[in-house]
Amino acid sequence: MHSIRADALSKSYGETTAVDRIDLEVESGTAFGFLGSNGAGKSTTIKMLTTLIRPTGGSLDVLGIDALKEPLKVRHRIGVVQQQLCYEPTLSVEKSLTKYGMMWNVPRAESRRRAAQVMHDFGLADLKKKRNEDLSIGQRRRVQVAREFMHDMELLFLDEPTVGLDPSARRSLLDYLRERVAGGLTIFYTTHILSEADYLCDQIAIIQKGRILVCDTPGSLKKSLGRRKTITVHTNSDHDRVSAALAGVPDCAVRTGMGAQVTIQSTDPEQVLAEVLVRLRRNDIKMREISAAAATLEDIFLETVENAPGSTTG
Amino acid sequence: MHPVVRLVNRNLTVSLNPGFLIWQVVFPLIYIFVVGFAYTSLIESVPFNGGTVGYPAYLATGMIGFNIMNSTLVSGLIIWNDRRHGMFEQIMSGPYTRMQYILANICTVGIIGMASAALIAVVGLPVFLESVEFSPFTVPLVVFAAVVGSVLFGSLASIISTRLNSSEGFNVVINTTFIFLAFSSTAFYPAEGAPEVLGAAFYVNPLTHLVDIIRAGMFGGEMEVIMAEMGALSAIAVTLFVVAAKMMTRLDF
Repeated sequence: MHSIRADALSKSYGETTAVDRIDLEVESGTAFGFLGSNGAGKSTTIKMLTTLIRPTGGSLDVLGIDALKEPLKVRHRIGVVQQQLCYEPTLSVEKSLTKYGMMWNVPRAESRRRAAQVMHDFGLADLKKKRNEDLSIGQRRRVQVAREFMHDMELLFLDEPTVGLDPSARRSLLDYLRERVAGGLTIFYTTHILSEADYLCDQIAIIQKGRILVCDTPGSLKKSLGRRKTITVHTNSDHDRVSAALAGVPDCAVRTGMGAQVTIQSTDPEQVLAEVLVRLRRNDIKMREISAAAATLEDIFLETVENAPGSTTG
Repeated sequence: MHPVVRLVNRNLTVSLNPGFLIWQVVFPLIYIFVVGFAYTSLIESVPFNGGTVGYPAYLATGMIGFNIMNSTLVSGLIIWNDRRHGMFEQIMSGPYTRMQYILANICTVGIIGMASAALIAVVGLPVFLESVEFSPFTVPLVVFAAVVGSVLFGSLASIISTRLNSSEGFNVVINTTFIFLAFSSTAFYPAEGAPEVLGAAFYVNPLTHLVDIIRAGMFGGEMEVIMAEMGALSAIAVTLFVVAAKMMTRLDF
């Protein structure tokens, strides 16, 4: 069963197309990662999926409801954590949680119980009497995410929810979200920190210039797009000498670090490495260190985005 | 609970902070008891409805209207703060429509306006008690003024808040507008004797007519004139509300 099904969903502002006929299917009870560079169309897509803005084309079905015809019905059953910090400055942490529960029609006693629970889960118990305006950015962010769990929902949208969080708070949040997904909640998650998507998401889509480039499980993406491996050779020599020695060798780049550093990114790195070693030896260039790494989601993201049609970086 | 009621509950919680309450109570009290009596040496009484009313009583009733208008600043502040702090988008991504959001704001200022009017009426009662001519119209006219004044000035504040993004711009425009409306009205002093242009400004200012209605409730007045003023104020309030609603629906995320 799908929580989100979008067909040829588009959004244009005059001549500018922000989202261009994207198709999406998000399975219920899974975490779906939505990745893209700045301005790729992630937030516009989320705003359409959460019915905040109306698409200019395509169809959208959220939780089995036609979101274009009955947006309010959709909003009753979803939760949204926006990218921007949003809070009521003069309210205390506890008050802002219970008031948010009230706004979702959660009975008062239940609202108090849930507030205590989420304050415990998000490490906010010591801050409960503090006003939101007196909190740090990371603390406000935790309140913002915690607040969304004050009400029942079937689908939760999180737009870069870990911005401003320290690594331990980030990991705690991801673990919390994983637990909720295991409990049946569907999550639609955008982030720039690709290791988060790798850790949390069952499926990942990469959007660039309003178009979805790939959509698959992290494992499959790594398998299909991550055949390239990275081998780094550190030398004691200078950049110009190493560059001259390796002129014409494919798939390798020379960078300057502590001595010149040769990075080989290839689907057949051993072959390239053999050639690099021969050339280095022939030019009497000494090697300091050699390291190899499999492709990460970040490599795959960069490769996908750089190789996208019309990309200026590819 | 109805969505509008829930939003009103939330609005009252976020806007009724000690600073606002002090402003709502202390400011009119200074006017009624300090300015009112200090100016008595300059303006002993004011001609009203064929007779005269003592200046403190005249000012105290004007302060009821002023306080109704002043309380509607809350509407602008709620919208502006919600936009600035992301709560407008958050609320709109929840189980609410824009119309419910606007209605809740107007209801909030209506409640605050009524409470303010009642508070000033009670506090200022010793000042104007002697001059009051209680009639069956006294309470309905004050309630009408509180409701229509809240819609009218609340819509105006809402319109301003939807047009301005910077805090400096918002504060300058809303304070200038409301100060101009306050001091170019008959809330503080009568229009008679004012320079012709200023006198004309007094009569196109809705606060003047709001205060006229309150004074008619308190001291009596020509009902035909008051009815006309009530009709005009209602029309302006409805027009501004429609404009505010339209502007809210056009707000982008």
